[in-house]
Amino acid sequence: MNNNSAKAGFIRILVTMLLSLGIGALFIVGIGENPIDAYVALFKGAFNGKLRLGTTLAGFTPLLLSSVAFAVAAKAGAFNVGLEGQIFLGGIAAAYIGINWTFLPKPILFVACFAGAAVVGAIWGFIPAALKAYYNVSEVCTTILMNTVALYITSYLVSGPMSAGTANAQSHPVTVTLHQFMKPSSANLGIVIAIILVLLVIFMLYKTTWGYKIRTVGTNPDHADFVGINSKKVFIGSMMLSGALCGIAGCIEVLGVHGYFLNNFATGLGSNGMLAALIVKNNVVATPFMAFFLAVLKAGAMGMQQSTGVPKALVDTITAVFIIIATMETLIQFKEKAKKKAETEKKEG
Amino acid sequence: MSEYVVSMSNIVKTFGTVQAVRHGEFNLKKGEIHSLIGENGAGKSTMMKLLYGMYPINSGEIIVKGKKMDRLDPKTAIEHGIGMVHQEFMLVEELTVLENIILGFEPTKGLTIDFDSARKEVQKYIDQYDMEVQLDKKISQISVGEAQRVEIIKTLMRGADVIILDEPTAVLTPQEARRLFEILKNLREDGKSLVFISHKLDEVMEISNRISVMRQGQYMGTVNKEETSPLDLTKRMIGREVFLNIDKSYGKAGKTVLEVKDVWVSSNKETSKIRGMSLHVNEGEIVGIAGIDGNGQSELIEAITGIRKVEKGSVILNGKDITNFNPKKVRDAGLAHIPEDRNKRGLNRTMSIVDNLVAVQLDEAPFSKGMMVQKADQDKYAEEKVKQFDIRPTDYNLPTSALSGGNAQKVVVAREVSMGKPLLIASQPTRGVDVGAIEIIRNTLEKAKKEGAGVLLVSAELEEIISLSDRIVVIHEGKITGELMASEANENNLGLLMMGGKESK
Amino acid sequence: MGAIIENLDKIINVSLIYATFRSATPIIFAALCAAITQQANILNVGTEGIMLVGAFTAVAVSYFTGSWVVGVAAAMLAGVLIAMIIGIGHIKYGADNCAIGMGVNMLALAITKFLLNVVFGMNGSFSSPEIDPIPRVKLEFLSEVPILGEIFCNWSIAEWFVIILIIALQFLFYKTVWGLRLRAVGQFPEAAKTAGINVNKIKYQAVAFAGMIGGLAGAHLSLGYSTQFVENMTSNRGFMGVAAMYFGGANPVFTSLGCLLFGFADSVGARLQAYGIPSQFVLMMPYIVTIAVLSVSMAVKLSANKKRQSSLN
Repeated sequence: MNNNSAKAGFIRILVTMLLSLGIGALFIVGIGENPIDAYVALFKGAFNGKLRLGTTLAGFTPLLLSSVAFAVAAKAGAFNVGLEGQIFLGGIAAAYIGINWTFLPKPILFVACFAGAAVVGAIWGFIPAALKAYYNVSEVCTTILMNTVALYITSYLVSGPMSAGTANAQSHPVTVTLHQFMKPSSANLGIVIAIILVLLVIFMLYKTTWGYKIRTVGTNPDHADFVGINSKKVFIGSMMLSGALCGIAGCIEVLGVHGYFLNNFATGLGSNGMLAALIVKNNVVATPFMAFFLAVLKAGAMGMQQSTGVPKALVDTITAVFIIIATMETLIQFKEKAKKKAETEKKEG
Repeated sequence: MSEYVVSMSNIVKTFGTVQAVRHGEFNLKKGEIHSLIGENGAGKSTMMKLLYGMYPINSGEIIVKGKKMDRLDPKTAIEHGIGMVHQEFMLVEELTVLENIILGFEPTKGLTIDFDSARKEVQKYIDQYDMEVQLDKKISQISVGEAQRVEIIKTLMRGADVIILDEPTAVLTPQEARRLFEILKNLREDGKSLVFISHKLDEVMEISNRISVMRQGQYMGTVNKEETSPLDLTKRMIGREVFLNIDKSYGKAGKTVLEVKDVWVSSNKETSKIRGMSLHVNEGEIVGIAGIDGNGQSELIEAITGIRKVEKGSVILNGKDITNFNPKKVRDAGLAHIPEDRNKRGLNRTMSIVDNLVAVQLDEAPFSKGMMVQKADQDKYAEEKVKQFDIRPTDYNLPTSALSGGNAQKVVVAREVSMGKPLLIASQPTRGVDVGAIEIIRNTLEKAKKEGAGVLLVSAELEEIISLSDRIVVIHEGKITGELMASEANENNLGLLMMGGKESK
Repeated sequence: MGAIIENLDKIINVSLIYATFRSATPIIFAALCAAITQQANILNVGTEGIMLVGAFTAVAVSYFTGSWVVGVAAAMLAGVLIAMIIGIGHIKYGADNCAIGMGVNMLALAITKFLLNVVFGMNGSFSSPEIDPIPRVKLEFLSEVPILGEIFCNWSIAEWFVIILIIALQFLFYKTVWGLRLRAVGQFPEAAKTAGINVNKIKYQAVAFAGMIGGLAGAHLSLGYSTQFVENMTSNRGFMGVAAMYFGGANPVFTSLGCLLFGFADSVGARLQAYGIPSQFVLMMPYIVTIAVLSVSMAVKLSANKKRQSSLN
């Protein structure tokens, strides 16, 4: 039963994927190019060579954290559109600590950056969660609004008090950085941290009492309260965890990729992470794979544009089509059901 | 044309696997008030929703004014002069009374709605039937009684001469109910035919010409008001069932476990649904609460268990005042609770049998250590419980949504009873389960009592109450109307109390 | 602070009135687009995307046909098509509003980039003297009048039109049969159904209509507000519109007032920036105000409900 539904889910995603690649192929043919060449170039663009693979991995890291962050909140029934704001604020907190707390020994400063980012991200998750839990204010709207607020806060800080005084709005460089490998790409040790965190989250969700409570609240809050689980607290807790993960993603971007806080650096990271989770219906085990797939598409697009005449915007189009189809819950199931119905009718007839 | 404006015969309606109406019969004469009575879940509302075209019937025949209706939807029903006042009002809170009345049948003048002519038209009905409403107030600003009059005007505006009222008095104060009855009598005099759905027998006896009874989806017959009595109707509604084999012990009741003192509670729709109830449960006894469904049983249990707010009075469990504690704290004070709706509260249907079995004790050894879930110990426990309670299928990793009603209920019972808490509340513990499960569940309650727990049992099955309880408390409209030992109880004296009558010595 | 006081007369003056309205107009169009679907209880997260596609279509068609009228009409049609993705996905196939809305935003961003590339061979932006812009209405008789002249004399047709649109929608929502049914469908679909109303039909109509207005919002942005297409040129105006719609509870007049708040913040922000003063706090104010308005209104509603249920106080 469980296996079957997992299998059906997998097939559904596969069909969706093929469908969107098919629609993409039509576009490519439309502009007079060969779709197979384009897709091969896309694949090569993501994996072929140190720089390309490294770029793919660097792009994957924040997506991995933000997508799992979205899924964790969703497990408790929250729709955290605020990933992006949490990433921004986590990033700025890490930058502030990394620049100013130089009195700390390096290893401790390093930890402090991550802790600070996580705390600030968690606070940014707490606000909409508490408003929802106690006043029933839709967390979807508050988080959308709070993204922009976060963007302005960071943009103020890096163009004002924390500005490095360069033409681009950015902060001074941080004094601790994550080791980069596969240079000249910006892949860095952050990916290891991200993977460990994600594994911990998966472990937490399925092996600990916290995870049990989060899943209970997300699937049946009435039952949760009935058996003595405080559904409001759990809801808020999972949003804070989600915010903390995003904060850490911001920290990794600052310490690992840029080395300073760059204005607007996280634009799009939140929505992509959210979409990766949505496509697989917040299955935390599948989410990282979907995040990886999206990262590959994004990174490969550049290579495709360079070696064929297909613009990289096409890949974004395909991704968008993919997502739109995936959100239509009953589209593909409906077809399966209709088929089943037809089959049983045939048998009876 | 026959003498009936509506006649429904051999009606069957299922929702998924649930048979809401197994065999329904109903007919309505012109200019009469015909009551349809039965307990909650007897299928009376469903029957009338079928007539109004809210759902299609599976089989059977509906004839309206001599015409057989093949496909009914609300629109066709309205066109054939059928109107329905739903139990949950179909009124849009943020629209005005006038806007609600004309919705779907708006008179227009050019591009705009002709509110003036609508107002005049509505005023006619207001005057004719003496139904005062404030047309320019929003629904959210008016009282429940007024909202109900709005619903009635709505049906009249659409030309209804058959009006169905689904438990109209459930949400009214006694004064408002009196006023409603005047309106209904006016409508009858004017030649309208009315269907009155209720389980309040005194009201039914007051207003009806004829009365039809349903029980568990079955039609149980129709009687003229003159030929029946509340007692007779109670018997028809509740019926009698085969007594299952239970060894009833008469243990000695020990000290008091639960004390409820002058408790007042509101329901979602009704203010002060429970008005000053007091009762107690001792160790080693089963106290049954008898009453027709919807007389405050659910609210009482929810108030005791911390799910619903107690507005006045106190609840004492094991000598500790637990009034308005949260559910977790109430449980910690010594309560186990089998809730009336296993799918809403009792179970998390997406989670497995083992997860559901340990839900309440998750934070305790051996099921977890620190924050780590101890899966092996949970599995061992689940295996034991599955065997003990004969839960099928035995694979405890299946989600509970895969279980039949009886087996799902056994999971809830196993979880709650196994903790050995001093107070066990069992609300409709055998509703909608098969006979095998009924026997296991009843014996489990009996065993809990023998082991010293105090049990508070709420059931719509009078037979269950009589055969399990030591002491029986009868409630009617949020008040206790009597208390007697099970040995003295029978369907007659309980039935009388359930209708609000005094115990006859 | 010193800089603010020094330049106060240049920041707050008569021209700020038109500047506020000018920056608010695209947001008002967007907010009205969101308000229409909101009345049917569909949160239009995709406003941004609908608008962006409208903006591109308007420029492209105006460029090729040389007619702003055709351009605007095409933009509205394109808006309907994009909106129908949301409509069909949500109403027929049970897609979550928010998810499919985000998907549509992404699609709009990508497909306009793609087409900009393929059709015009451009990256980033496209402008040309052959794009026929939405004309401005020069009120010569006002140009000499001191204050009124400065405020009113040089509006784009779309800016006049938005005022008509606000009034028209106010009328449509609250005075016509369709508006009444729309509100009933949004607030209590069961009630609408029992009144014999086809709920899904009304929802589709609302989505299509919103698409038209969203397309128009984009056309105004690319043919009225400016005369060019720039990648992602909506830059969050769609979301501001959604926020303003929340602020005004989907009532066209109140929603537009919310947009003026955004427009005001935007134009004051731009002026502050011109004098080297950080503008971000001014820019984020409307968002914070909206969150506060939402929270307070929900809290009030909740306590009112509680009071209604209890008989003892």
